[in-house]
Amino acid sequence: MRPFLVLTLKETKDIFFSKTALLFLVLVSFIVGYGFVTAVGLYSEQSLAAVNNPLYARGFEPVPGVFGPIYGGLFILFSLFLPFVIIPLISLEKEHNTLAILIQLPFSFKDILTAKIIATLLFLLFVLILTFPGIILWRMYGGHIPVNEICLLLSGYLLYGMFVVSVSFFSASLFNSVANASIFSIFLIILSWVIDFSRNMNISPLLSFISEWTVTRVLKYFENGILSFTAAMYFVLICSVFFIMAYILLSFDLKDKWKPISSTIILFLFAMFLISHITLNADMTESHRNSFPPGISKALEKVPDLEIDIYMNKGDSRFADYQKSFLKKLELIRNDVRVKIMTGKELKKKYGLFVYKINGKSKETYSNSEQEIFPIIFGLAGISAGHWNNETEFPGYPLVVKERLSIIEYIYYLLIPLGMVFAFAVNNLKLLRRLKK
Amino acid sequence: MLKLSNITKKYFKTMALNKVSFEASRGSITGIIGPNGAGKSTLLDIISGFQNPDGGEIYFNDQPLKSFKEYRKILSYMPQHLEIYPDYHVDEFIEFINAATEHIDINLIEILNLEQVKNKKIRYLSKGYHQRLKLFFALSNTKEIIVLDEPFDGFDPIQLIEILELIRSENIKGRTFILSIHQLYDAEKICNHYVLLNESRVVTQGNIQTLKQTFGEDNYSLEQIFKRAIQ
Repeated sequence: MRPFLVLTLKETKDIFFSKTALLFLVLVSFIVGYGFVTAVGLYSEQSLAAVNNPLYARGFEPVPGVFGPIYGGLFILFSLFLPFVIIPLISLEKEHNTLAILIQLPFSFKDILTAKIIATLLFLLFVLILTFPGIILWRMYGGHIPVNEICLLLSGYLLYGMFVVSVSFFSASLFNSVANASIFSIFLIILSWVIDFSRNMNISPLLSFISEWTVTRVLKYFENGILSFTAAMYFVLICSVFFIMAYILLSFDLKDKWKPISSTIILFLFAMFLISHITLNADMTESHRNSFPPGISKALEKVPDLEIDIYMNKGDSRFADYQKSFLKKLELIRNDVRVKIMTGKELKKKYGLFVYKINGKSKETYSNSEQEIFPIIFGLAGISAGHWNNETEFPGYPLVVKERLSIIEYIYYLLIPLGMVFAFAVNNLKLLRRLKK
Repeated sequence: MLKLSNITKKYFKTMALNKVSFEASRGSITGIIGPNGAGKSTLLDIISGFQNPDGGEIYFNDQPLKSFKEYRKILSYMPQHLEIYPDYHVDEFIEFINAATEHIDINLIEILNLEQVKNKKIRYLSKGYHQRLKLFFALSNTKEIIVLDEPFDGFDPIQLIEILELIRSENIKGRTFILSIHQLYDAEKICNHYVLLNESRVVTQGNIQTLKQTFGEDNYSLEQIFKRAIQ
């Protein structure tokens, strides 16, 4: 066997058969099971009124209705508990000084870190695979499975999991104690939430800008069914930065570590600047809930420089509607639209107004409805959008589950946890080990 | 063979090593001796490439050692503070080393009596056996220089005789040893070259005859020489 494979197998075994991993996996099983039972129950209950009402049925989509809440549980588990599973992989090596063993075998620091990354990636894949019985059962109940959307959701959580792994590796490399590293990595993760929460408070333009690039915010693309090149690259870059910094901190043969660390950060910011200018998005939802009809999208691509002045507070519910139904969809097509949210005296004077400006011409409206906005924009640009209301309508997938959900409970509350405890025992118990011998 | 020239190391304002120079010739067993806090472990970390010195150079066969890769090729190091994977069984650890290096000396397992504890978890080994396992790791390779930090910790007198015998036999095979030893009585039994370290600097060095000539008389023990030297 090649030495690197030996190392990767060791790391994989170390993570999968640790007590913390066992507890984490049991917790995952409970949370996924609970999320599934609750989500299917609610979806089924609400579907009762929709099965014979095609208009109401259109609002029923399995991803936001069932799979979103299930994976939402994973988000909490990844953010708050995963660091405790990952950090010992490095912290214990440091505490026991076993890096001194590995580094004297034919492994470089790069090999050691890569093997650990591969092992954690396999662990995360295993965690995500634990949700598959739920998906299969959903299908067996007669539920619809939007494959593209689910794959996107899984990729998003895999990337988010890798982000937590990279932050944990960085913290573990920075601190000598497991406790300090755990607290620091949870602090970094929660910091992302705090910045995200502060977005609507309009505290400072810089904070608003940063909040557009928090991990939780970028994860929303995957949760909402938008395949975004920028979002995927963002995760790849941010994970790489933390992994590289962990590598630099761990490598005791490196001198002047601050130099490579600062170069890495500068390169990351530059790469972020580049990718933020690329608009390559695809709405993967079957209902196309994130995008305008194709005719409108094509016409909007042709519109010259567009400026929008908004005389409204960010906390206003009309602004929230406008953002969801128009601005977010517009961002998917164009990222060069200048949106200005007015403040001060001007805001009070013209509160509630939207001003669209193209080629020096402008038009105002108090409406935030697409029916009103598009004629204004296309009128100012002198473009004909053609017919845009004749799109194929999404039928919706309401489902009333008549079977009892106890099988889900058996699988997630009993079978999976017991299976894990059994696997752990097989690996660790002396008696079974002797039998194996 | 391995030459240290003016090695200096500082931790903030504390001087850990102050212009330490000595040479370990091929086939020698050099004992780094000194009281606690003299800088023995730091010196061994630097000799093994695990820490960078702030000043000075290390030469192997008159060529300066520049990268950790170069150290790794020639040298095997057993740090004092090393707790081998506590949740592994002894045979699992040996298998891992074997699979990773594709070269272990099977005889060492027998010589170090590891066969009888192979099914034990490392965390449940006695200190002596844990130390044997550390020695197994340091010796189960073909490297020319073996650096051991406090290798005799945790051995009873009978076990110590076996371990000293093992080091001698490896030395006869042509391997060079650099040992940090706390107990001067143990150092006297195995080393043929001594580097006396006190307060971060080398007080004196040489073989036992040279030291006796410089600091005492023919019947002086290493301990007496050391006391004289630091005075």
